[in-house]
Amino acid sequence: MATDELIRVEHLTKIYERGDIVALKDISFTVKRGEFLVLIGLSGSGKSTLLRCINRLIEPTSGRILFDGIDVTKASAKQLRQLRRRMAMIFQHFNLVKRSSVLTNVLAGRLGYVHPAASAIHRFPKEDIDAAIANLERVGIPEQIYKRADELSGGQQQRVGIARALMQRPDLLMADEPVSALDPATAHSVMQYLEQMNREDGVTVIASLHFLSLARRYGTRILALKDGEIVFEGLPAEIDGKKFKEIYGEEAEEVEVR
Amino acid sequence: MKRPRKSKSGSRPLALRLAALRPRIAAFLLDWASWGYIAYGVMYLLNKYWYLRYVDFYGRLTLPSWGWPLVILATLELTLLSHAFVQTIGLSLFGLRVLGPDLRRIPLRARLRRFIVQHAVLLAQPVALFRDRPGGLLLHDSPTTGRMHLVARVKDEMPPEPPEKVWRTYRGIFLAGLLGLTFWLGWKITTINLQMLIERIGKSGHIWRDLFTPHFTYLTEYVNERGRLYSITYHMMETIFMAFFATVTGAAIAFPLSFLGARNIMGFNKLGWLVYSVMRLLFNVFRSIESILMAVLFAVWVGFGNPFAGAMALLLHTVAALGKLYSEQVEGIDPGPLEAITATGARRWQVVVYGVIPQIIPSYLAFTLYRWDINIRMATIIALVGGGGIGTLLFYFKNEVGRLPDAWNQVGAIVVSIVVVVWALDYISARVREKIG
Amino acid sequence: MEKDYPAGFLTPKPNWRRPFRRYGRDLGTLAADVAVLGALWGLFSFTWNHFAHGTRDFLSLPWGPVLIAVVGLACAWQSFGVSVGQRLLRRRLVDDHGRASSARRVGRALLLPLQPLYVLPVLVSATHVPWHDRWTGFRTVAASEISELRRPWYRQSSSVAVALLGAAMFLVSALFTQVDLVKLFRNAGATSRIWDRIFHPDWSILGLGVRLLIVTLYMAFMATLFGVLVAVPLSFLAARNLARGIAMRSVYTVIRVTMSIVRSIEPIVWAIIFVVWVRTGNAAFAGTLALFVHSVADLTKLYSERLESIDPGPVEAIRATGANGLQVILYGVVPQIVNPYLSFTIYRWDINVRMATIIGLVGGGGIGQRLIQLTRNWVWDQAIVLMLLIMLAVWAMDYSSSRLRERLN
Repeated sequence: MATDELIRVEHLTKIYERGDIVALKDISFTVKRGEFLVLIGLSGSGKSTLLRCINRLIEPTSGRILFDGIDVTKASAKQLRQLRRRMAMIFQHFNLVKRSSVLTNVLAGRLGYVHPAASAIHRFPKEDIDAAIANLERVGIPEQIYKRADELSGGQQQRVGIARALMQRPDLLMADEPVSALDPATAHSVMQYLEQMNREDGVTVIASLHFLSLARRYGTRILALKDGEIVFEGLPAEIDGKKFKEIYGEEAEEVEVR
Repeated sequence: MKRPRKSKSGSRPLALRLAALRPRIAAFLLDWASWGYIAYGVMYLLNKYWYLRYVDFYGRLTLPSWGWPLVILATLELTLLSHAFVQTIGLSLFGLRVLGPDLRRIPLRARLRRFIVQHAVLLAQPVALFRDRPGGLLLHDSPTTGRMHLVARVKDEMPPEPPEKVWRTYRGIFLAGLLGLTFWLGWKITTINLQMLIERIGKSGHIWRDLFTPHFTYLTEYVNERGRLYSITYHMMETIFMAFFATVTGAAIAFPLSFLGARNIMGFNKLGWLVYSVMRLLFNVFRSIESILMAVLFAVWVGFGNPFAGAMALLLHTVAALGKLYSEQVEGIDPGPLEAITATGARRWQVVVYGVIPQIIPSYLAFTLYRWDINIRMATIIALVGGGGIGTLLFYFKNEVGRLPDAWNQVGAIVVSIVVVVWALDYISARVREKIG
Repeated sequence: MEKDYPAGFLTPKPNWRRPFRRYGRDLGTLAADVAVLGALWGLFSFTWNHFAHGTRDFLSLPWGPVLIAVVGLACAWQSFGVSVGQRLLRRRLVDDHGRASSARRVGRALLLPLQPLYVLPVLVSATHVPWHDRWTGFRTVAASEISELRRPWYRQSSSVAVALLGAAMFLVSALFTQVDLVKLFRNAGATSRIWDRIFHPDWSILGLGVRLLIVTLYMAFMATLFGVLVAVPLSFLAARNLARGIAMRSVYTVIRVTMSIVRSIEPIVWAIIFVVWVRTGNAAFAGTLALFVHSVADLTKLYSERLESIDPGPVEAIRATGANGLQVILYGVVPQIVNPYLSFTIYRWDINVRMATIIGLVGGGGIGQRLIQLTRNWVWDQAIVLMLLIMLAVWAMDYSSSRLRERLN
């Protein structure tokens, strides 16, 4: 087992509805530490399912996933929680607790680390609260700290999500279409935070994106899915027109996001 | 030539200032009432536990002649005290806060000054209304004693502060105290006595046993004791038809009436407002009387045990309840389509038919089904006061408890049939609601 | 279990359930049609008997011939047009041989009732096509598979039937409940004494009335308080999305069923039982208990339904950080439901106040008990005072509860 391999996915399959829907068909790939892997593909090609299988938010039907040498698919509930602490996730629709304050949402990132009884009465250690403030400053929204999460704009909410992810001090960050709900300028700023985490903190990033131009700009490696299968795996520069049509279909045309 | 009177820049007219006073008065009254309630609770408990010299034998709430003024004064003082020093329930409910000139919380000394000034200028307060003071509305508002602000208006200029933990604030503690007091009072007033309940399990155990072994003797047979009792099936049908009639007729009557009770339809001239107010008043009045109470009257009117009485009572209540719900829906419609249709040159009633009605039909149906659920439940018991329905048998057998050996078993059978029917109808109406919504 | 499938193996949908499902659907369509037609017959015969003979009879013929006629008519309806059952369960008849002749439709209608005879051979056969379809050249398919022109409601036999049913139901309900407006007006004179008393209220009972009203309000409060305390934990056990595993699923079912049953019984009926249970001096306690029992059932239903419709996104996000079950609930679920739960509590409190005023009618204490005594003794001038008090209390509670609930949303 190579030590620079963070994730190894072997023959991952996910079938729904007793055989009607095959979301993932025998997927195998590896992710090295420090990589910025971008998943691309049409909606419904399995990107979200793949990401959620890695931290077992969705149970794989068959296959094996190794995270830093540990088998995720066979982990017990307690082991799974400890593994999940090391994998942070941000979502397309931000998934913040709307009625809670920004501070509470960010502190939720430490739930895997603090004592359950303390978290039950909302008592987080002082270092965690300081870290939350520092992380909010890092993503540029320190003044929103006490506001209710749903009072923020879309871009700000996603940044709160990133701050929550930072609180976990993760080895891996998974982003499920983090910028699909944002306008182009905000999308770039959010992607830059991910890039910063990847370069400065050494966090491995797996992000699924819709726009190829964003993938080319930020990714170090690209994995393309179509109907649950891998149709392309390689460097961003290698995707030419023909490969593009293979991935997205015959009628697809590229859209630039500047 | 007379110089026109110059109004100071930023000064507001009298009407506006009086309007600004309303939430403060309301908050004050609410807090005073809460202290009054505490006073009542204290007096009641004192009467209950310690017989004071001034209490008569039956534990009633009596006080000496100097008692009532003392209570009123004490509660007033406490209200003023709490308003000056802390953020009370009334203040937060009406969105008010006492803040300093920099929109921060004022220090303790300033609060004390505020409390004292309030008393000192009490009699001179009306003067303040005729001058628009820059420091604040009432005479005890000033930069040194803090000013009462509507939080909604100054929210953006206020510095951010961490949200306070509810249980540590005055409000939280006060509310918890109120809750505790009410719980204690309630326990005493409703004569809860769990020990007695457990002791008497033996005495009433046979009732539960009989209830769970129902005798379906009268499921289809006729019980002809007083010439007017029939089988369970018959009365069940009576109940269902009663509720059905009341719901359908009620909905039909409430439909046009709801337009008369909707502000956006009626509020275009004085007569319209009058009709609207009358309609709303009628809705409220008849909604507040439960159908069973109205059935008391109707039973006397058309005959005891006549299902017509129950149907009429349910009908009146349904019309009022649905009328209110419907008219709220009409008031909440999207004005866009109305605008568009009016712009085509349609008349008022055409705008209503083509613009309003299509928007409200789904919720009307949902409310009618909701009302149907409630009516069928009411119809099962409305026989208590002579309204007809399955309750007739239920209360007949309950009254025969001493005389018939299997009375409770019969009651059990009737309860089972009620459960089956109500449950089935609930299920059907839930499915229908799913299909519509 | 799913995990044992080798990778890449596509499991085809097991098709041993399909014929049962299809048979169930066909039977369901027939049952719905028979029910509708039978109800129509019953309602019309009741109306006829009422106006022609003055009797109350739903059948007017022995039930044997009625059943045969109804079943036959239902089968014919299914074969010739689109019946109510077919619309409800979304099944349609498709002809395999081009333009369907009436003769073949009649044949199908005649064969349909004989279905019990050939159910087993059909279920066992490979194609599962029922014989009444196969031999007459038809197929029954799901409505989504064919495109048909939508006709206005008055040209659809199923809609017309349902409308007729509704009208007949209404007519029969009016007849059955002996709606007689003439009687209402005729008796108005006889009740004039009562009206006279009602419009001259006797205010001497006001003091007692207020005291009784206070007891009533406290009854409602205590019932709501204890109801909430019991219902909140129960609701977490009765929510389908939080119940995983066989043990929790069975707990879920048991709680849901029990609460449905308890909810179907009005508090007044519960009060009958509790009045016998407690001592005579504790009537208010009986009323509180009755309201408590009903409140628990109603609140559990409302709470658990709300729990089932929470936004799963934040819950997913908190699970993904490695939090344990309790933390997920506290940080992901609870913030979403606090306000709705409060809103339901206030709603229930409002209802309890209404119920508390009338629960005295069976001896449950409070203002209702005195009210029923007064009306039974025809002391209407005092009764109206109590009724006015009740009205005031209910209206005040209603107003404040609707304002509070507005604030919560």
